[in-house]
Amino acid sequence: MSRVVVIGESILSPLGATPAENFAAVCRSESALRRYEGMFGVREPFVASLMDRSRWTVPGRTFFDSIVIEAARRAVEAAGIDPASPRTAFVLSTIKGNIEHIDTQDVTLAASARRLSDAFGNPNPAVVVSNACISGLAALVQGRRMLLSGLYDHIVVVGAEVQSRFIVTGFQSLKALSEAPCKPFDAARDGLNLGEAAAAVVLGFGDAGWELVDGAIRNDANHISGPSRTGEGSYKALRYVLKHIASEELAFVNVHGTSTLYNDEMESIAIDRAGLVDVPVNALKGYFGHTMGAAGILESILSMRAVDEGIVLPTRGFTTLGVSRPVRVSAEAGKTDKRAFVKLLSGFGGVNGALLFRKGGAGC
Amino acid sequence: MEQLINEIKLKLIDALNLDGMTPADIDDNAPLFGDEGLGLDSIDVLELIVLLERNYGIRLASPQEGKKVFQSVAVMADYVAANRTK
Amino acid sequence: MLTIKQFASIPAGTDLTALYRARVGDYPKFFKMDTACKLGFLLAEQLADEPRFTPREDRAVLMFSTSGSLCNDRHYEETVREFPSPSLFVYTLPNIITGEIAIRNKYEGETSAYVLERFNPETVVALVEQAFQDTVTASALCGWVDARADDDFTAFAFLVERDGNGKEFNVENLYGTVNQ
Repeated sequence: MSRVVVIGESILSPLGATPAENFAAVCRSESALRRYEGMFGVREPFVASLMDRSRWTVPGRTFFDSIVIEAARRAVEAAGIDPASPRTAFVLSTIKGNIEHIDTQDVTLAASARRLSDAFGNPNPAVVVSNACISGLAALVQGRRMLLSGLYDHIVVVGAEVQSRFIVTGFQSLKALSEAPCKPFDAARDGLNLGEAAAAVVLGFGDAGWELVDGAIRNDANHISGPSRTGEGSYKALRYVLKHIASEELAFVNVHGTSTLYNDEMESIAIDRAGLVDVPVNALKGYFGHTMGAAGILESILSMRAVDEGIVLPTRGFTTLGVSRPVRVSAEAGKTDKRAFVKLLSGFGGVNGALLFRKGGAGC
Repeated sequence: MEQLINEIKLKLIDALNLDGMTPADIDDNAPLFGDEGLGLDSIDVLELIVLLERNYGIRLASPQEGKKVFQSVAVMADYVAANRTK
Repeated sequence: MLTIKQFASIPAGTDLTALYRARVGDYPKFFKMDTACKLGFLLAEQLADEPRFTPREDRAVLMFSTSGSLCNDRHYEETVREFPSPSLFVYTLPNIITGEIAIRNKYEGETSAYVLERFNPETVVALVEQAFQDTVTASALCGWVDARADDDFTAFAFLVERDGNGKEFNVENLYGTVNQ
């Protein structure tokens, strides 16, 4: 019983309120990306994937805290664990949390984490992992480590992001947003779209199911906002997790694929350097946009489900390869009989992460 | 033009936090980016785009366009003189 | 066994520019940083060991705080209505401090930023120990850098090593080191 496995999960997004609904929507090639004008008081129009706030906001709570707690509640329920147990702990992944309320409230991420653990009567201090765009992946790595430390039986890892004028204007000022739905790895890609979602997994020990085999976080040590030209950190993170598996055993690499010029190019270099050019590659930003603190968890859940169904999900928005390395980007849905995949993310601060998932069976 | 060049240098020093520099330290024709000259980077380009809009009402569509305008302070001053709306 | 090797701190109210000029002086990117990053950068300068500026994957950078990037978030928010500042926005991420330290020192190992309700040695020791589950990580530059405002901060850092020759890295010794 030394394997860290996923025992419960949830997704709240504009495409659905359960992992099954979200997966079905992706299989139908749906996307919630649409153009907003005047939203959040932002002058320039932008394309984003936004949730219905009136549906999810609980009285007395912010929209952000509401979806964090609701995503956690659903994952806890699916796992059937006791969230108030001292042997359970919560890890929250987000970048900006309640930032839209900066003028009126305590918007520290620590306060949101406290409200999360309090909502379940959990006695342990909730840890926030805020590692820019790899936060979700880093939080899963953190959850795995907390279990292996022997201090806990269950870790609830929740990732969420809500959009706001603060974030949208910031990405606009960086000229990072596309005015159209994003096109990951495509020759015509010209930026990312932002998205809102909350996703959660409960990790525990088990012999069967989806195992978090190992994860790594590495820094480019190059630039705070520009991806490495050599894919340094991403390559090193991949190299660390690939010691556990042969590339032939991978169903796919689910990349970050933000659809910015430099991110996707950097990932192609890292994948090539890691010897994975023959492994299918896919990105899910065309369905959900870049959901920031939720991305690592949301995209991991959908990738697990895809492997369960024997599918390599298509990369919505991709038609023509537009990176320098011959990576196998999945434009159409493919079939797979493999039982493992790698989740890859990169973010500001030069940080990169890779996490290896493998589906085991009893006696496997 | 001399006056505009000096004004741009002062705004540049302020916007990019070029500590301890004075307009006299910046050569009118030295490249702003790359290893020579001021050695500015990609975020500095974006901040210069804001500088143009805020002070001169000039809106650049992309950082790529910026690279042409931000070759040197002299080139910037020519561009501002020709395109300013305020 | 993990050990604590060194400790550095910057008292609240310290003139960071003066400290930079006295200790470093040749890294103009310092002036672009927000207060949290300046603190992290200066602490890392005090803890940096030889040989410097050599790429190394075995050194992690683990930063903890309550405020995250909130101090700079307020500065960015002030620009949002008129001309949102890209150079302020890039510092609105709590982990940029780890990136600045990694860039300066060529630390290519793990970098992580954690936000906690308060400085709690039990939690910090546990999280640092857990980070050493990464088998490449041989040492970690760890810090508590909480910038509540530009002139109101708590900032200290320490180096933790796998099998080093310092004191054992545990709650008691971390308490002792911090309170010295």
